[in-house]
Amino acid sequence: MNTPSLISIKKLWFSYEGRSIYKDVSLEIPRGKITAILGPSGTGKTTLLRLIGAQLTPQQGEVLFDGINVHKLKRSELYRLRERMSMLFQSGALFQDMTVYENVAYPLFEHTSLPEEIIHSIVMMKLEAVGMRGAYKLYPSELSGGMSRRAALARSIVLDPDLVMYDEPFVGQDPITKGVLVKLISDLNRSLGITSVVVTHDVREILDVAHYVYILAEGQVLGQGTPDEIANSQDARISQFINGDYDGPYAFHLKGSSSYLEDL
Amino acid sequence: MLELFGSLGRYSIGKVGSLGRSAIMLFHSLVGAPNFRKHFPLLVKEIYFIGVQSIIIILVSGLFIGMVLGLQGFNILKDFMATGSLGTLVALAIIRELGPVVTALLFAGRAGSALTAEIGQLKASEQLSALEMMAVDPLRRVIAPRFWAGVISMPLLSILFCVIGIYGGKFVGVDWLGLDDGIYWSAMQGNVDFASDLIPMCIKALVFAIACVWIALFNGYDCKPTSAGISSATTATVVQSSLAVLGLDFVLTALMF
Repeated sequence: MNTPSLISIKKLWFSYEGRSIYKDVSLEIPRGKITAILGPSGTGKTTLLRLIGAQLTPQQGEVLFDGINVHKLKRSELYRLRERMSMLFQSGALFQDMTVYENVAYPLFEHTSLPEEIIHSIVMMKLEAVGMRGAYKLYPSELSGGMSRRAALARSIVLDPDLVMYDEPFVGQDPITKGVLVKLISDLNRSLGITSVVVTHDVREILDVAHYVYILAEGQVLGQGTPDEIANSQDARISQFINGDYDGPYAFHLKGSSSYLEDL
Repeated sequence: MLELFGSLGRYSIGKVGSLGRSAIMLFHSLVGAPNFRKHFPLLVKEIYFIGVQSIIIILVSGLFIGMVLGLQGFNILKDFMATGSLGTLVALAIIRELGPVVTALLFAGRAGSALTAEIGQLKASEQLSALEMMAVDPLRRVIAPRFWAGVISMPLLSILFCVIGIYGGKFVGVDWLGLDDGIYWSAMQGNVDFASDLIPMCIKALVFAIACVWIALFNGYDCKPTSAGISSATTATVVQSSLAVLGLDFVLTALMF
C-alpha cells in the first residue's frame, strides 16, 4: 500500500480524566514530508503523538498508519508495527545507566542479530549524522540538553524508521541548538526520506522547514496549509498564534466564575 | 449520607480498577516465551540488586532476632527448668514465623521501596514510554526480570535469616549463658520437621515474595509521573506490602499448621 498519506487520522474523539482533548479531529500526515503540528500549550499536541503510537486509545475515530488501524492491533502486532515508527521525547528519555553509544545501540541489540562490529559501524554513522560521534563514551548526565536531544535523535533513527515523531524538540534550547535541530530534522527528512511529524509551538523555527502545517486549538483543527498559507492566514486566531500577540481571540485573562471586583 | 455512599463507591471502583490493572500488568509481564540470551543477564543483574544487596540487612537482623529469642527464651525456660528446649523454641519460632515474615518486611522496606521508586522514575523520565516506542515491551524488559529476581531472592534470604537466627540463639544460649551445646542442637533436631516446618516456611516465603514484588512493581508502574507521585507510591508499597505480609501470614499459618 503506498497512499500519499502515511498517517490518516479520522474523526478522532479523545478525552482524559473527564477533560475533552480532541473533538472530531481529522488530519493527514503526508508520506516523506515534514508536517508541523502547532498550537498553544495544553492543547494536547503530545497526546496526538501518543495516539498515533497507540500509547493511548481514543474513545472514537481511528488512526491509520500505512492503512493499518493501530488501535485494532494485537499487542504483539502493535510492537512489530512500532519498529517502523519512533519518537523523540521532549526530555530525550535516554537511559541514564547507559552511555550514548549503548543508548543508540540498544534498539539494534533488541531487534536484530547483527554482529558487534556491524552494530558499532551503524551506531557511529548515526552519531556522526547528528554530530555526536565525539561524545559516544559519555553518560546522559554528562550531556547538555541539546546534546541529549541529538543523542536521542540518533537512537530514534537507528532502525531507519518510516516515521519520526518529534515532541517539542526546541523547548528549552538556545538559538544555536534550535538551529542545529532544525537542520537535523530537515537533513534527515531529505537524505533518508523519513516522514516527520514535529509537534511544537516554536513557530518561526519550524515554518522554515515544514512542508505542511496543522494548527490545533480547543480540541479541533484551527487551520492547515503550507507554511506560506499559514503565515498569510486572515484568521485572527491563527495570526495571533503565529505573531505571538498577547491578546486577541485568545484572551489574556482566563475566564473566572466571579468578577474581579468580587474576588478583591 | 448519599455523599458517603458515593465516596465509598468511588473508592471501591478505584481499588477494583487498580487490582485489575495490576493483574493485567503481571499477566503481560509473565506470559510469553522468554528469550534467554536477552533476559538471563537482566535477571542476574536484578538478583544482584534485589537479593545480594539485601543480604547484609537480613543477616544482621536475623542475628539480633535470634540472640533476643535466645536470651528471652533462656530466662523464661529457666523458671520451668526447661532450658533444654531452647533450641526447639528458637528454631520453631524463627522457621515457622519470624524468618519468612521479618525477611518479607525488611525486603519490602529495602528492595520493595527501591523497586517502586526506580520504576516510577523510569516512568516520570519517559524511559518506559521510550521503550514502548522502540518496540520493546517494558513489561517484559523492565517488570518481568525484577519480578523473577524478587521471587527467587526472597525465599533464599528467608533461609539465610533462619540459619543466622538459629546461630544467634546459640551464641546467647550456649556460648554466653552456658547451655550445653549438644542439648541445644539435639532438641532442635528432634522437634523440627522437614515436611511440617521447613516446607511451610519456604511456601510462606514464596507467597510473601510474590505479594511484595507485585505490589512494589505495580505501585511504581501505576504511579503519577511526578516527584510527589513517586513519593506516595513508595510509601504505599511499604504500607501495603507490610499489611499484605501480616495478613497472608495469618491465612497461611491457619492453613498449614
